Amino acid sequence: MMIANAYELIVYILTTIGVYEPINNIFMSFGLDDILKIIIMLVEIAILFAFVLVTIMFLTWMERKVVAMVQSRYGPMVTGPRGLLQPVMDGVKLIGKEDIIPEKADRWIFTLAPFIVFVPALLVFIPLPFGESLIISDLRVGLLYIIAISAISPVAILLAGWASNNKYSLLGAMRAVAQDISYTIPLALAAIAVVLFTSSLSTVDIVNAQAGTWFGIIPKWFIFIQPLGFILFLIASIAEMGRIPFDFQESEQELVAGFFTEYSGMKFAMFFLAEYAHLFAVSGIIVTLFLGGWNGPVIPFIPVQITSLVYFLIKTYAVIFFAMWLRDTVPRVRIDQLLNLGWKIMIPLALLNLLITGFVVTAGVIQ
Amino acid sequence: MTWISKNWTMTGIITGLMVTLKHVLHIGNRPTVTVQYPYERMKLAPRFRGRHAVDEDACIGCGICEVSCPNSTIRIVKYKGRWFPEFNLGMCLFCGLCLDACPMNAIKMDRGYELADYTRESLIYGPDRLLFKKEVNK
Repeated sequence: MMIANAYELIVYILTTIGVYEPINNIFMSFGLDDILKIIIMLVEIAILFAFVLVTIMFLTWMERKVVAMVQSRYGPMVTGPRGLLQPVMDGVKLIGKEDIIPEKADRWIFTLAPFIVFVPALLVFIPLPFGESLIISDLRVGLLYIIAISAISPVAILLAGWASNNKYSLLGAMRAVAQDISYTIPLALAAIAVVLFTSSLSTVDIVNAQAGTWFGIIPKWFIFIQPLGFILFLIASIAEMGRIPFDFQESEQELVAGFFTEYSGMKFAMFFLAEYAHLFAVSGIIVTLFLGGWNGPVIPFIPVQITSLVYFLIKTYAVIFFAMWLRDTVPRVRIDQLLNLGWKIMIPLALLNLLITGFVVTAGVIQ
Repeated sequence: MTWISKNWTMTGIITGLMVTLKHVLHIGNRPTVTVQYPYERMKLAPRFRGRHAVDEDACIGCGICEVSCPNSTIRIVKYKGRWFPEFNLGMCLFCGLCLDACPMNAIKMDRGYELADYTRESLIYGPDRLLFKKEVNK
């Protein structure tokens, strides 16, 4: 039996335990079987968001640990084993902080902006396949949805920067928007080259197209067909995330903290969490598009849902580690270099990649 | 555009990444150099200059240390019927000139360095906190 998404997986598990039928009958007797569907969907979304939030907290710890290891330090060590509970303490501290709104700020937009940043950062996960049948909804336009949803964040950043009524916030927001716009184009073009091979925008179809191996050794990942596309996508997504080689939105030495200079307490925490949610989401998208998604060697006697989730997480954490590693190694480029790289080099290369891919697909060299 | 045409292979970035990776994996002589401060401490230098201590038997209360102090840290006060120096560590710069000036070698500098306190008054170390008695071998 083929289980398409997490909803059917929950129904399947409940049916196997023998709980689903009686519950369904109760709801059916009131004529409320749609309500049951909604409840199950809410449960799966709650599980997803809880998982994402725990991952984000783990990522903040991991980031500090990786920086510490690169700089020959220990990093957080005191709270919990190896400092693992440090994010919890940070969260408690941030909740306890005073929530300051500047006097001259636009209060409504100032309050709204963190939510507009945070919600899309979580919504990106909906068409992201965490494993075989571990997907909230296999949208037929999944990739388009992901790119469209990530394109909301510059709007929210501009809102935050404008509403703060602070020159540093506004400058940071302007830079972030310029950067996001110039790097979304090569990002989308590199993703389209993958879509040419799969002829589908659905993330599950993209992952399924990467199953199997060539000659029994090389996995059929798109990184081997699309090395240029992979590099372009990686650079563009690091730039879109605003991580260190391209962190103009919050370059501490020039702008105090960029667009969230004026934010404190829980609102600051939401920007902070959204940043790490974005990191996790983008790494997941890179894995889905280029690194074979949840594909991996099949292990007998273990449900494929579990093994595929493990493969997905291993690959995602490898990409996340690369992003953190790069952050600790490379200094920030200049703003003109950033825009030159985006417009003059990445977009022509992405178009060239698309052209070559088009020829290859039309010629039918690689199936 | 010149910067990227010269370095289009990005060997500099890859070399840098390799160096940081060696630090992460502790390859070669790259140990963790910091210590978990409140739980473990750095080894102090043998001639470390920390908090002062005054030998109760040797001090003659002459006041030469008071004169020699560049920051007027030292004041001579009466304690148990004798004159002893009193150190205001809030002003002390730990130069050690009082040690050199003392004719009886009564002042020495201890290894204590955790001297932070809540008020300025509690930084004034009177003889009650400074005096020590040298063990005499009989």
